[in-house]
Amino acid sequence: MADKRFVATKVEVEGREETRIVEIPAFEPAPWTADVPMDVVGQCVPRMDALEKVTGSAVFTADVQRAGMLYTAIVRASVAHGRVTTLDLTAALEVPGVRGVLQRDEVEGIRYDSGQLFDQTIRFAGQPLAAVCAETQDAADRAARAAIVRVDVDRHAVTANAALAPDAPKVRSHGNTSKHSPRIAQRGDADAALRTAEVVVEREYRTPTVLHTAMEPHGAVAEWSGDHLTVWESTQGIFNTRSDLAEAFGLKLTQVRVIKDYMGGGFGAKNGAAASTYIAVALARKLACPVRCVLDREGEQVDSGNRSSTSQRVRLGAMRDGTLTAMVLDAEIVMGVGGWFAGPGKIYHELYACPNVRTTETFVYTHTGAMASFRAPGHVEGAFGLECAMDALARALRMDPIELRLKNYAKHDQEKDRRYSDKRLDECYRLGAERFGWGTKAFSTDAKSARFKRGRGMASIGWGAGGGPPSYATVRMNSDGTVDVLTGSQDLGTGARTVFAQIAAEAIGASIHDVRTILGDTERLPYTSNSWGSQTTASVGPAVRMAAEDARAKLFEAAAQILEAPVEALEARQSVVRMRDHPERAITFAQIGEKLRNVMLIGQGSRGPNPDKTALFAFGAQFAEVEVDLETGQVRVLRIVAAHDSGRIINPRLAESQLEGAILQGIGFALFEERVLDEPLGLPLNPTMHDYKIPTMSDLPAIDGFFVPSSDTVANHVGAKGLAEPPIIGVAPAIANAVTDALGVEVNELPLTPWRVVSALNRDSAERA
Amino acid sequence: MTNVSFDVNGIAQALEIAGHETLLDVLRDRLSLTGTKLSCGRGECGACTVLLAPPNGRRRAVYSCLTLAVACEGSSVTTIEGLDAKGGGTHPMQQAFIAHDAVQCGFCTPGQILAAVALLDQNAAPSESEIRTAMSGNLCRCGTYPKIILAVQEAGRRLASGG
Repeated sequence: MADKRFVATKVEVEGREETRIVEIPAFEPAPWTADVPMDVVGQCVPRMDALEKVTGSAVFTADVQRAGMLYTAIVRASVAHGRVTTLDLTAALEVPGVRGVLQRDEVEGIRYDSGQLFDQTIRFAGQPLAAVCAETQDAADRAARAAIVRVDVDRHAVTANAALAPDAPKVRSHGNTSKHSPRIAQRGDADAALRTAEVVVEREYRTPTVLHTAMEPHGAVAEWSGDHLTVWESTQGIFNTRSDLAEAFGLKLTQVRVIKDYMGGGFGAKNGAAASTYIAVALARKLACPVRCVLDREGEQVDSGNRSSTSQRVRLGAMRDGTLTAMVLDAEIVMGVGGWFAGPGKIYHELYACPNVRTTETFVYTHTGAMASFRAPGHVEGAFGLECAMDALARALRMDPIELRLKNYAKHDQEKDRRYSDKRLDECYRLGAERFGWGTKAFSTDAKSARFKRGRGMASIGWGAGGGPPSYATVRMNSDGTVDVLTGSQDLGTGARTVFAQIAAEAIGASIHDVRTILGDTERLPYTSNSWGSQTTASVGPAVRMAAEDARAKLFEAAAQILEAPVEALEARQSVVRMRDHPERAITFAQIGEKLRNVMLIGQGSRGPNPDKTALFAFGAQFAEVEVDLETGQVRVLRIVAAHDSGRIINPRLAESQLEGAILQGIGFALFEERVLDEPLGLPLNPTMHDYKIPTMSDLPAIDGFFVPSSDTVANHVGAKGLAEPPIIGVAPAIANAVTDALGVEVNELPLTPWRVVSALNRDSAERA
Repeated sequence: MTNVSFDVNGIAQALEIAGHETLLDVLRDRLSLTGTKLSCGRGECGACTVLLAPPNGRRRAVYSCLTLAVACEGSSVTTIEGLDAKGGGTHPMQQAFIAHDAVQCGFCTPGQILAAVALLDQNAAPSESEIRTAMSGNLCRCGTYPKIILAVQEAGRRLASGG
């Protein structure tokens, strides 16, 4: 091993495992095990960019102003399926202030998630057909409205049922299911196991299409200088955006600079160049002016990605003692016109010990906007089916839901038959149940009257969140003793800037007040991967730590000269280097810098390979208490307890913010959020923030989120795993299980809007009659 | 076009404004005060919230995307950039937002802060339920609501004790 510079390693990103060839770092810092005392890591350091955000000085993409900048509006299709026969932009070009248009023949070969940009074959309502560019946004918007579009309308298929009908209109040329549908994954013999199971439950679950609805829509500002392109972009992946643009416009990577300073949320939908990016770049080249293209809210809601809706037919087989013997899923997943194949099936293979599992997933194309990653794609949908079915099985067995889950606890990775780096899901169950008061009953007498019933439910979580290479960082100490952390990466609002600074401060021995993090510039900073798949801390964190330790080694060499002490005798804390056994012999970082004058101490770090044959997972258990109004069907979430295992927590307060945010999005998914379509017309009915309901402050329950103590140093030497996505996974099934507990009637379709709850009650009383 | 005179963050502005221009457009595009954000453009999300005091009237929170700029004649507008009237520092509400991490991506934050300041103008010591009601028109997709409640309560206490 020692002589090998490059090795193959496995990295899991949003459920997809890839093999990557990676350079072994020059040295591997000693693991920060749980018992290593920490000075800065683990502290609730205030978010380092909070001041810019609360004063309005943080510059988001739409805030970027360039001299002579032009504004863009997109002409969109108003039918779901058809062919453009006329696209007349004459009147648009006559609107005062309009400087130019961009049409299909000028963007040949430029593809984004929904296919060829400005395709004149319309495959969803809202598809971009052309763009106009003007001196003001107002003029651009008027011009777009002045465009005359004539369309030969075709029959459309906007639902899975319509798309799978024998005479369905084709969404894609090869048909309405993905080429690899049905995707079957199995271990053991699930059919035989179902036949011999002592208890079988069979259920059907449905999850809706939901929209990311980031407060800041997709957008870019593009500016050409000669053959060099600079793009300011709201993105989770500056380097992905750079390579997308280089490919689309035939540029070298050195000709493209992508900058992301602040962004208003991503949640999975901003992982590379978007339609708005390509439009801004193409118009900026054509008109030789800087161009901004920021989506309006409707554009954001109809064409920037969504979480696939699913229908899941679940069969679970078990022995009377609760031992799972068979798990079978047959699922249909609605893709819209494109996207990738997240699928609800994977969590069925991962979450429990069971020898016989089969999932069959059919990915269906429809005449609607394309799917995009959305916070734990696939697992959020799959966990709803699996964890509700597990509760149904627990009821059939008259077993406690946690007891059933512990009975089938997976001690190793079931899907790939390998060890876990660490797994503390059992502690999450135990501590979560304790904090929640599980085992005591939610008495409906607590509620206002017999009209209101309370119930309790829980659900489990697992998510591949170990991150991996490649990611690089540089740490440099300036001559005044301040420290810069330089790494590509992106802070979506997660706190990455703060977390990297804490890791660097800890490793170099600096005061956190002396450290800053510089992110988000492909031209000036080392490569890191996208901020997706709960990857950032576990991928970039170890590279930052290594860079800081590398810089510290140089700092100590210098300090040893000045203090006339051996390097091994030195330690650093709060920006002071001192002799461990003679603390009075000390020198501050600033004094060292002063002595060295303009010498810059630079450390380099990279993310090493992941451990072989090891599953790197974050876990959690979530508990919900709800109150249901039997008359109106309204569900109120009263409280959520969330116990999580994400390895070492770098900043507990920021981590808690992430938990609360994911839980709120989970409540939206459980109770309100649903893209509604007019099926006969094929049009989205609620592409606004008024009609597409995300949680407001009034919907907030009491949230008690916490992490079980851990440092997963098998996963990486920092000991941290991801935590952005896991806490959304269990929310909806925990709430649905609580509603079922309250009503004594199962609710199997999300969102649990009042009419769905009332329908479930009515169905139940009809069945009883 | 109409000549409109109004005060923004303590600075007198006299602008030629078209009838359809919103206060949001004027703040962002004419005065480069980009701390006020456009997210929905139709009064559904609160990201564009600013404080508006009509002539001789009390200031209150308005959605600047639904406020026509020509209707602001003689008014005083406070945006996030001008919240700390003394200048150069931060308002107790901003400090409380930092202290409680009531900020994730930060896009909705200026609107949240100004809505919270308007709430405390009218009700110096709001209960949690009053905060929830008053702030429900300001959406946050990152889910900072629990922290915003803590921040508003603390800012209320600090303002009551003289800031």
